[in-house]
Amino acid sequence: MVGIASLGAEQAFRLAAGPSRVDPWTPAYAAGFLLAAELAWWSIEPRVPAWSDTEVLIRRVLAIAGCCVGGALLAVVVVLAAGAPLHGGVGLELVGAAAAVAAIAVVAAVARLPAKA
Amino acid sequence: MTRTATPKLGAYTALAGVGLLAALVVGRPELAALAAPFALVLVVGLSFASDPRIQRAAFELDRERALEDETVEAALILRTEEPIGRLELLLDLPDGLNVDGANAQIVRLDWRQRRELDFTLRCARWGGYVVGDFVLRSPEVFGLLVREWRLELGQPLRVYPRGEALQRLLRPLETQAFAGNQVPRARGEGVEFADLRPFVPGDRVRRINWRATARRGEPWVTETHPERNSDVVIFLDTFLEARQRDEGTLDLAVNAAASLATHYLREKDRVGLVAFGGVINWLHVSSGVIQLYRILDSLLDTEIFLTYAWKDIDLVPVRALPPEALVIALSPLLDERAVRTLLDLRARGFDLTVVEISPVPFAPPGRDELDKLARRLWLLRREALRSRYLRLGVPVVEWDGDVSLQSALEEVRRFKRHARVVRA
Repeated sequence: MVGIASLGAEQAFRLAAGPSRVDPWTPAYAAGFLLAAELAWWSIEPRVPAWSDTEVLIRRVLAIAGCCVGGALLAVVVVLAAGAPLHGGVGLELVGAAAAVAAIAVVAAVARLPAKA
Repeated sequence: MTRTATPKLGAYTALAGVGLLAALVVGRPELAALAAPFALVLVVGLSFASDPRIQRAAFELDRERALEDETVEAALILRTEEPIGRLELLLDLPDGLNVDGANAQIVRLDWRQRRELDFTLRCARWGGYVVGDFVLRSPEVFGLLVREWRLELGQPLRVYPRGEALQRLLRPLETQAFAGNQVPRARGEGVEFADLRPFVPGDRVRRINWRATARRGEPWVTETHPERNSDVVIFLDTFLEARQRDEGTLDLAVNAAASLATHYLREKDRVGLVAFGGVINWLHVSSGVIQLYRILDSLLDTEIFLTYAWKDIDLVPVRALPPEALVIALSPLLDERAVRTLLDLRARGFDLTVVEISPVPFAPPGRDELDKLARRLWLLRREALRSRYLRLGVPVVEWDGDVSLQSALEEVRRFKRHARVVRA
């Protein structure tokens, strides 16, 4: 998680220091981050030496590929939405604040689940 | 079933939350775009997470009895209504049983699928086991949540000690009245030649030895030895044992007891068992295959039960130690109560043989001089104890499992050949 967060911080610094226009390669970066995170988790997750169905392995690879593609598409939507000619207003500000509160609420709810090492 | 969150769930939630908040604070939509895939994984993963349900589970063994070092084939049969994308199974085995190959399996189950998983169990140590406890673990598709539960499908498995093949057994001083394979000193109806003597009224005509009669000019008859059986009581000392890692004196004693019981019963003798220790168990002498299984099942339940209560031979029922029985004691001679009880048995006139299951290999010498001196004193005390038995006419043989039990028994036979019975 620290590695991925560092990569994200590096990207944020690059964006802050760079031009103000939206970077068109952002969806690719987003998919790359997710792929790196998934592979990192695969390498460190708790496991026991076990015989495994090949199908389980194939399904996992497909699931990672699918979520990376889906994540890239979602990032494209976000980038396109950021480029849309919408003007700010009280409504959008409220939606943004609500989204922030909802994100914090989700984090708090997840933190209450017992963690499994 | 317990449901737990993996560290991945917390990490992804934090990354998505920080990314979205940073996008709001900094005012750069790219950060929201970077966080969006992590949020997508969270939403999809948690939306499709459901408790896996196994409709039917059964565990089968190809047999309920096995010998040490043998393998037993086992199968776990699972049937599901709904698919389980990833199911991790671990067969939780008791000490003494192992799985050839991987003990854990990772499988996928489809809609209404019946799946059979095979395991090869290796019986490493004798004992009575219950096999079939599984630990199941099923992470959801992205590994955000893990569900764990147990399946208890216990099946009994009895692993008998693998006895040693014995060519010759110890013979008791006295035989019993029932027919068997032993030739006593007494004469009677039998097939083993004993002697020739002159014919006396009452002798059966068919016993006349015609060659001797022709040679001597008067009727002579052949005398024979009858075939008799004997009573053998295996006396197992279960007060204490010396153990190192996977092997101990009790294992050796149980293996020796199984060998002796098997071979004596094969010779049509009657065999009984007295397990004398913290818990006293006994089996009256009897013969046949059923008695063999009784003894083996009783041996499987044998364990060291630590107690400080004084126990002597009076606690054993009289019928468990029939008169004129050969008592073969298998003991590490570590506990004073067992030592005294064996002396008591000898004093009561039993034909006693002590097979000392040597604890010496399980007690390696220490490193410093004091430890080495203590060990030497301990070995001298054991030697003195052996001499005490020998003075009382009790053959004692030390057996540590490295040599065959047969060679230990031969040592006793040699002692008995020159020993004379002393009746007090």
